Amino acid sequence: MSVLSKLKETLVCLKAGRVTLPYPAQAQPVPEKFRGRPLFDAAKCTGCGGCANNCPAREILLFDLCQEIRILQYLGRRCAYCGRCADVCPEKAITMSHEFETGTNSIGDIQQRVELFMSTCQRCGRCFKEPSALEQLKLKGYRVDDVAHERWVFRSKSYLDTEPVVDDIKIEMD
Amino acid sequence: MKTLLSILGGLANVAIVLLVAPFFQGVLRKITALIQSRQGPPIWQPYFDLLKLLGKEDIESGESPLMQRFAVYLSLATVLTVACLVPMGFTAPMNAAGDVILLIYLLTLCGICTLLAGLAAGSTYSLLGASREMMTMIALEPLFAVAIVVGAVHTQSFRLDTVLNGSVYASAAFPWSGVIMFGVMLLSFQAFVQRVPFDISEAETEIMEGPLMEYSGPKLALFKYAQMAKLVIYSALFVTLFVPWGTGLMFPLGWLVFWAKVTGLVLLVTLVAATHARYRIDQAIRYFAALLAVALVALVLASYGY
Amino acid sequence: MVAREKLNQLKEKFGGAVQRADMPCNERLFVFVEASALKAVCQYLFRDLDARYVISIGMDDRPFSGKFMVAHDFAFDQDHLLCSVLTHLPADNPKVDSISDVVPAANWAEREIRDLVGIEPVGHRYLKRLVLPDGWPDGVHPLRKDFAWNQVPEGYDDTREFKFDEPPEGCTVVPFGPFHPTLDEPAHFRLYIEGEMVRGCEYRGFMVHRGIEKLAESVLTYNEIPMMAERICGICGCVHNVAYAQAVESAAAIKPPPRAEYIRTIMLEIERLHSHLLWVGLACHIVGFDTLFMQSWRIREPLMWIAEKISGNRKTYALCVIGGVRWDITAEVKGELRKVLDKLESEWTPVVAAVSKDKNIQKRTRGIGVADRALVKNAGLVGPVARSAGVNMDCRRDHPYAAYDRLDFDVITENGCDVWSRVLVRAKEVFESIKIIRQCLEKMEDGPLQLTIKDELPVGRIGLSSVEAPRGESHHFVITGENNRPRRWRVRAPTYQNLQAIPAMIKDQQLADMTISLGSIDPCFSCTDRMETIDLKSGATKVWTQEELLKLTRTKKT
Repeated sequence: MSVLSKLKETLVCLKAGRVTLPYPAQAQPVPEKFRGRPLFDAAKCTGCGGCANNCPAREILLFDLCQEIRILQYLGRRCAYCGRCADVCPEKAITMSHEFETGTNSIGDIQQRVELFMSTCQRCGRCFKEPSALEQLKLKGYRVDDVAHERWVFRSKSYLDTEPVVDDIKIEMD
Repeated sequence: MKTLLSILGGLANVAIVLLVAPFFQGVLRKITALIQSRQGPPIWQPYFDLLKLLGKEDIESGESPLMQRFAVYLSLATVLTVACLVPMGFTAPMNAAGDVILLIYLLTLCGICTLLAGLAAGSTYSLLGASREMMTMIALEPLFAVAIVVGAVHTQSFRLDTVLNGSVYASAAFPWSGVIMFGVMLLSFQAFVQRVPFDISEAETEIMEGPLMEYSGPKLALFKYAQMAKLVIYSALFVTLFVPWGTGLMFPLGWLVFWAKVTGLVLLVTLVAATHARYRIDQAIRYFAALLAVALVALVLASYGY
Repeated sequence: MVAREKLNQLKEKFGGAVQRADMPCNERLFVFVEASALKAVCQYLFRDLDARYVISIGMDDRPFSGKFMVAHDFAFDQDHLLCSVLTHLPADNPKVDSISDVVPAANWAEREIRDLVGIEPVGHRYLKRLVLPDGWPDGVHPLRKDFAWNQVPEGYDDTREFKFDEPPEGCTVVPFGPFHPTLDEPAHFRLYIEGEMVRGCEYRGFMVHRGIEKLAESVLTYNEIPMMAERICGICGCVHNVAYAQAVESAAAIKPPPRAEYIRTIMLEIERLHSHLLWVGLACHIVGFDTLFMQSWRIREPLMWIAEKISGNRKTYALCVIGGVRWDITAEVKGELRKVLDKLESEWTPVVAAVSKDKNIQKRTRGIGVADRALVKNAGLVGPVARSAGVNMDCRRDHPYAAYDRLDFDVITENGCDVWSRVLVRAKEVFESIKIIRQCLEKMEDGPLQLTIKDELPVGRIGLSSVEAPRGESHHFVITGENNRPRRWRVRAPTYQNLQAIPAMIKDQQLADMTISLGSIDPCFSCTDRMETIDLKSGATKVWTQEELLKLTRTKKT
């Protein structure tokens, strides 16, 4: 047995001292840029839908109740905390908080729902939004968000047929 | 009256072992944590662990549940019987009840219990563990027997109190055999108490605790208890056989010195366990075989009075 | 000019069978050959030109060209060239000549193509199901474009069981996994044991499919995939993230700004550092040496903190988007990173010094899990496993990406071919990584982090990217497509190749050495499994009651 190397190893160990933290009692503070649970600021949100279009996990749903009320819902189920929504938000209405202990028994604690009052164009009476840089890399069409059932329905084929797309919503599986 | 006293002494021994065994386990865990830069569990944690396991549902599982249950009871019973025979700071209480040969038998029985447990579980991994345990036992048990026989040869007696009192050094000339056996036992002690690097028959990362695999709840608690007790008993045996100095002092002093020595031995076990990787069974057997050869040399020396 | 040279060699040898070739740059070569000549071309590349086999890709190209496609990727490491041999196959009843008897490393890849795309490799000797779950009906291939990403196939049979091969005579079967203390992820090895000796094994893995590749081809968009790619693996996630972004960039001929390249390099090296330290710890845990396990993880911890500081998370950096990176390394972080590296170096040096003399660890690792040069070549082994066999191969130097072409570092090799050599390679690579990060911090120039991409990415281009993950080369193959997403994305994690050599590495060894041999390739089953199939269970989840579960655990299944 190599006693010398064993002694050296023991020395390495003892030099370090005790390093574990008494975690739940005393947590290490998270750094400034930490990406925790995203928080949505209803006052700043314009309802542009950039976050919904760029969410890799499809955790943000957007739905128009009527012409003037738009619902934005964050589902909090499989969010990857990538922070893309906060990146693309033109109004900085989404911030990545420092919350990471998000374990809960009721998903409602995590979910957020923003109800937006959309103003309409005086002339055409419809909502409008000028094309932005987001349009460059957004998801192309074929997606319907079903807020009532908390899911998004998506065209199930990866390429386009020549037929019209109206029937797409039929093929819905979660 | 004398019989009653010796029985009371034996029971006292059992009580002491049962009381302090989890404490030593706690010390072992705490020191390991210290070496590994961790906080470690509270020193009393093993008591709670045992209580918790004892309170759990008793599940019948494995190939033959009856044998499994039997193996556990036998294991703890054997260990506690050994506890009656081994001096714990005083002379051996049940001196008249047996001799060192009985002690050797009982110690072997401990290993056989593990074997039984492995066979009873019947899963591939526990069978592997059982076969490893068997190989270890064959190579290991003679070592202890040789150590005791060396003592018996020196003192010309099989009596417990005579042999278990540093008898290995009791030769007329310089006790070469005793010194050699001291070294041999020190080098193989880790295997007797089944700690890294010789916890081969249980090897969690290889065969998933081997024989213990199918155990849970109270049965697991008893098995763990037996293992903890084993650490104390083997340490006590080692101390009485090889490090007898100071035990003969006045009552509280000699007693304290004895337990201090036991604690020291447990610390050594911890340190070795924390700084070693587990050996493979063939490597371990080769190692034991070399030690056994040395031990036999010591036996020959002992028979010539050295 | 190497690409042209190789193409000329191929043209000379095979003449008209070479239909078309693309050389987007000097480091890439795409050759379209006739299906009948595919095997001969691959044999010529692999045996005569001594190329390294990387991966085979099958794809359903019917909506675009009306045909199926198969691609075999090879790498010329000395010549800094990645080469893809492609062929088109008819749309009905697609068959391709198997190359697995001339290129043994293609064994799994061809079985996977058969499972997922339904292209039959003719002449493959062991056509057992590899990827699809046991109950999946025959003749349904999830990676075909007419198979919806969320479709549950008709006739899925939950009760069907996998048929294992017969064990050789005189051997008992020891099931190893799917759940075993040393396997961090599910994978099943059926070991054939004689006494304590392993005589052979059968592997059944691919238990953690998440359908990532299918999702990418059908649902996600270019810039969403990096975040998902990262989740292929919990240890080398950033590698997949960067490799994917680079594959798309190389397909679309985009070059990220230099500062972004340096930041990618730094993050990749931080990841390598943490992964190597983690591996040394795990290896020690496997042989029962828990103290070094704890210490090595302790030394690793500040790296995780600095990564958290830079990117906002300990492990999932979410670093890349197409054309750049998302996080900057500020002057303040730079200083801190330097301090972390200094501390790491000063702490790791004594550990390496102590361990490299430790006979006790060497006893368990020397001469164990031997993978020699021949096996490396035939099974296409990569990373530390190849380097421990003396094969001087490292994608960072051979196929430079990010900022590696501007950095100076050594490739560590050893000649022991065993687990111990892999320990040494990894332990020493830590110092190289520290060196690389220091150089990056010095040379990093100011500038933008992301490129503004004004146009849509071009369609139908092929991109290859090899990134040296801590475990070896991660290879990503991308064909750009319509609708802002790739047509095909194939991930080949290093473990995919290394795992195939495990049966050869553990043969005629003690069972006790099995775990450390397996551990020595740093297996990442989720990397290997990724993907592709669809999570069927989400369609029909069965909720077990506690009684049922208890009953299940207590009754012995025979």
